[in-house]
Order: sequence, then structure tokens, then C-alpha cells
Amino acid sequence: MNYMPGTASLIEDIDKKHLVLLRDGRTLIGFLRSIDQFANLVLHQTVERIHVGKKYGDIPRGIFVVRGENVVLLGEIDLEKESDTPLQQVSIEEILEEQRVEQQTKLENEKIKVQALKDRGLSIPRADTLDEY
Amino acid sequence: MTCLEGPHSNQGPDKSCGPMAPEEELVSSSQLEEEEEENEEEEEDLDPDLAPDLEEGVDEEEEDLGDPAILSAVTNTQRGLPSSPGIKASGALGMSPASLHFLWQTLDYLSPVPFRPTHPSTSSPVRHFGPRLLPPDPYVFCSPPTSWSPRFSLPSHLTQLHPQHQRILQLQQHSRTPRSPAKKPWSRQSDAYANLMTRKEKDWVIKVQMVQLQSEKPCLDDYYYQNYYQKLEKKEADQELLGQRSKVESLKLVTPYIQKAEAYESVVRFEGSLGQVAMSTCFSPRRAIDAVPHGTPEPEIGAASSQRLRVLSWIEKMFLQLLEIEEGKKNGPPQSCYSEQQRNQVEKLFQALKTQEQSNLEETADGFLQVLSVRKGKALVARLLPFLPRDLAVSLLLAVIHHLPLLVKRDAADQVLQMLFKPLGKYISHLTFHELLQGLQGLMLLPPGSSERPVTVVLQNQFGISLLYALLSHGAKLVSLDPSLEEPSSDHTAWTDIVILIAWEIAQMPTASLAEPLTFPSNLLPLFCRHVDKQLVQQLEATMQLAWIY
Repeated sequence: MNYMPGTASLIEDIDKKHLVLLRDGRTLIGFLRSIDQFANLVLHQTVERIHVGKKYGDIPRGIFVVRGENVVLLGEIDLEKESDTPLQQVSIEEILEEQRVEQQTKLENEKIKVQALKDRGLSIPRADTLDEY
Repeated sequence: MTCLEGPHSNQGPDKSCGPMAPEEELVSSSQLEEEEEENEEEEEDLDPDLAPDLEEGVDEEEEDLGDPAILSAVTNTQRGLPSSPGIKASGALGMSPASLHFLWQTLDYLSPVPFRPTHPSTSSPVRHFGPRLLPPDPYVFCSPPTSWSPRFSLPSHLTQLHPQHQRILQLQQHSRTPRSPAKKPWSRQSDAYANLMTRKEKDWVIKVQMVQLQSEKPCLDDYYYQNYYQKLEKKEADQELLGQRSKVESLKLVTPYIQKAEAYESVVRFEGSLGQVAMSTCFSPRRAIDAVPHGTPEPEIGAASSQRLRVLSWIEKMFLQLLEIEEGKKNGPPQSCYSEQQRNQVEKLFQALKTQEQSNLEETADGFLQVLSVRKGKALVARLLPFLPRDLAVSLLLAVIHHLPLLVKRDAADQVLQMLFKPLGKYISHLTFHELLQGLQGLMLLPPGSSERPVTVVLQNQFGISLLYALLSHGAKLVSLDPSLEEPSSDHTAWTDIVILIAWEIAQMPTASLAEPLTFPSNLLPLFCRHVDKQLVQQLEATMQLAWIY
């Protein structure tokens, strides 16, 4: 804002902790170290956070270089408030297990729905498969 | 706070404070001696030599003091205060070095980083750019107590915050002030990796972004920001007048003006050759042989639809001309007389409106009618009327009166004729009696093969009835002003006939179908009284009053 008043820029966000949501649904948390004109990001000390219900688990990932077009949104994390969360942190194994279970139930429900629709002669294209070529 | 005022007085517009300092550090006095020597030797840019020494151990997971990081951070802050170099000032201000550093870090973090336009490293064409350099926002220096966490950036008036967000931030500000001194907001791991992106690199990214923003006409391309900024400036000027002493200047985005590379013909034709030779430079790589679309004559669509399309495209072209005229009026000096050029433009537009490239006189009127049948055409005429000289406007008015029944019929769908009333109404008073009579007589004629006079249709439409009343009122005024018209003449009889006829028609009409006029001239009823018998007048009164009320 100070460099370019009236615009939105990532320059002021450098060296701050950010939460980045990617297009594939991953949530990354890390220090934003570098940017460029395409909003490609360099994240440092990155952690991939998986949320399942009220639990979350962190997978340390190191340094990430994210292509700008894959970012949905990002926001600065208030370091003081970071620990002030109702969510419960669990171990990586546990959260991965939880995630797998969640995916499974989702798939099963989806299958039931698709079957029900098929029985009635309808077919709805799945939004997540539309993106694939 | 004295400590705050000191650095404030030192900061001038050309200071280049270092980039945003890393957020939190603890300072130990042992460091300070080392830094003192480093101060003097520094260049403008952050030397890579001063970059944190990784081996000295910032462990990523733990909360450690990263001593080299402090070095770079402190030197950054100190650069903002050249006249009171580093540590020596601390003695003068009577503060411990630790808290002074703390303070400088706060200030450095909060002060807007001025953007140096003449950066020695950038190439010359880029030298122009950069936002206006201003003294750091005094707002910044007025408020924060030392314990205020710098972690959220100060919302300047340029930051658009959601009102909820703003409230939350304010609450935080208020709640933070009585903070227990034991809990230090700085007590986090020092950022050993800060400033990996150097100042030069940041400037480069900003340069690229600025280049993308450049434009020849910002008022068009960046309309909303320019208007917003004008409003902001006005508000600040008003505030200044009202007595808020400090001249708070707000920053404006000034995009660089970079000369565009000369456009060149990338495809060269040699005479007599069969093909094209493609030329390219490093700035504009090879362009493919241009494919030129040849204008093929459009196939004849149905006559009616093509006619309509032609009218619509004609209206669009005229509208563009009208917008130019309006723009000229807006930008030019605020005077009622128009420049020669403007008058020509208006004249041209009027001709375009009237003629529509048709030589036949009958079709001329028809063209005008067609324009008026379209909603946008009505808007066009309504907006053009203020610009027209009187005689042209009067001729338009007469044309409208003449074709009033037709217009009313065609307007049934849109019901937007009303927009024409105000501009046209102004010119009614310029009509002569004769013209008025002619127009009204046209409305009274019984068309062949129909028992209904056109006036009936007119009375049922709001615009029509308003126009009619206005015309009658004008006629009455003319008659009252000019005693010569009172004498029995063909004109006078014609006038009386018209009045009686209209009165009769109004009385005949069921009240429900009588439209409500936009204005009700006061001299109408007396006019009717004079020419019509009492019973009819009473009937009229009832009808018209009722219609007026509803």
C-alpha cells in the first residue's frame, strides 16, 4: 500500500506468516519470503495443515514455490492469535487416517447418490472432474 | 512522548528507511558495540554481507535469539535517522539502548517507506516513476504507545477495511494499551531469513507492476480510483479549512510514463513480390503474416428487421457523438455559450437526427419518428435538446406535436416519453401562436376511416396530456398578452374551436382513462370557462380535479 497507493500488493506481506489456500484444496502455512509479478510465492518453513472436523494435523514441508495461478486466497496470520484456536491439533498419522475415513464416507455417499440418480434416468456431471482435460 | 518526537523531527521526505523490519527482536547490549562500527560504512542498499549468518543458529523450531538478524534489522532502522546515528542518540534521549531499538523498530515498521525515484541501479527510462514522496504520515507518530503491537499494519485512510474489521482493530487498539509489562510482544524467534527478497528485487517487482498500469488517459482507464482520489483530496482540503491544522497529504498512485516503443510494421511488402517478408526486433518478435478480414457484403435479411437494425445502429452512432458533446461541455469552461467547434458538432448531430441519410422529405420525418420510437432514441433527443439552438429545438418540438398520437401509440410498451417532457416543455414558450395553432389543429383532424380524433389517444397518455395542457396554457397566455388576437379572425375562431373541442373530449372521457398530467397549469380552467358553457365547465372541473388527485 505504501509503495503503490490505491492498489493491492503483496510487497508488505513479505516475511510474514501466511495461510495460503490452493486450488487443489490444500492449506499451506508459511512465511512469505518472495513474490513476483505473477504472485508466485516462495513460502518458507511451510507446513501443510489438514483439517478434519475439529481436528487438524501439520505436515512440515520446508520450502514451497507456488505458482501464482494456483492460489485461491492467502491471508496473514496473527502470530499472537495463532494458538488461540478451538481446534485440536493431533498427530500426522491420526489426521491422515481421519482424512482417509472422511474421503471414504464422502465417496460412498456420492456413489449412493449417483446410483439413485441413475435409477431415475438422470446423470449429473461431477464438478471436480470437469477441470480435468 | 518525548521519545517519539525525536525521530519524528528527523524524518524528512527523502529518507529511505529500510524495508519493513522483521517483527520482533530482543536486543542485547553486546551487539550494540559491533553495530556502531558497521553504521558508518553502509551503502544505501542492504548489503548481503549483513544478511543473517545462518550458522549462528536460528533453529527453525525453537525460539532463539538470532543475533545477526538483529544486526541487519537495527541497521535498517538506523538508516532512517542519519542525523542521530545509532546508539549515540540513546544517551541524549535518556533511554536505554534496548528500549530505543524497540522504538526504532516500531517506527521503522510503521513509517511509510518512501520510494526513491532516482534509484541508481535502474535504467534511465524508468527514472520518472514512483509515488509522490511525502513526509511520513503524522498519524503514525501520534498514536502508538510503545507497548502497542506492531503486528498488524496501521490502517491508513487508503486501506479499505471492512467496517467489522475496522471495529475489531479499534477494539484491539484500545484493549492493548493496558498491557502487562511482563508479556513482551517481541518475545518470538528472531527472523533469521528476513529480507531474502532484497530491496532491489522488491523495487523490480513494483516496477513491473507499475509498467502494467500505465495509461495515456487515466481518467478513462482508471475512472473509479481517480474519482475516489479527487473526493479524498477534497475531503482533506475541507478538513484543513475546518481547522485540522496538520496538512494530511494522501499518497496517490502515479503510474510511470514510459515511452512506448515505436510501432513498426512487422510485415514488409516489397513491390512486385508475391509474398510478405516478416521483420522482427527483440522488442517485438516476429508477427505472423496478418490475416486481413475482407468485408463481405451482408446478406439481405428481412426488410423490416434490417430497417430496425439500421435505426438502432444509427442511434448508437449519434449517441457517441452526443457523448462527445457532453464531454466537451463537462471539461470545457463552465459557460453557456458554446465554442465554435461544439456548435458545429451539435449542428451535425441534429442534421444526422433529422435526415438519416434519406433525401426524401417525407421519409425524413419518418426517420425521426423511428428514432423516437426506440427508448434510447428518446433519451438521445432528451439529452440533445439542451444543446440545440432555439429554432432547431422548436422545429423538433413541432415535429413531436405533429406526430404525437403516433408516438404515444408506439410508446405503449416503454412508457418513457416522460423524459422528453421537461426538455421539450422549455421550448413551448417559444412557440408562436400560429405554430401552436397548426400543431393543435393537426391533433383535431379526424383521420379518414376513423371516428376517433387523435386527441383522444393523446389524452390517455401522461406525456400527451401534459404536453397538451402545457400547449393550451401557452396559448391562453399568448391570447391574454396580445389583445390583437382577441379580434375575430380565422386564427381566433380556430383557437376557440380547438379549446371547445378539447374541453368536450375531456368531459367525454371516463375519468379512469384520463391520464394524470405531470404539471397542471393554473390558467387552464379559466380558459375553459371563457369558451365553454357552465355545465360543461363543471363537468370538466370534476373530471380534471379527480384525475389530478389520482
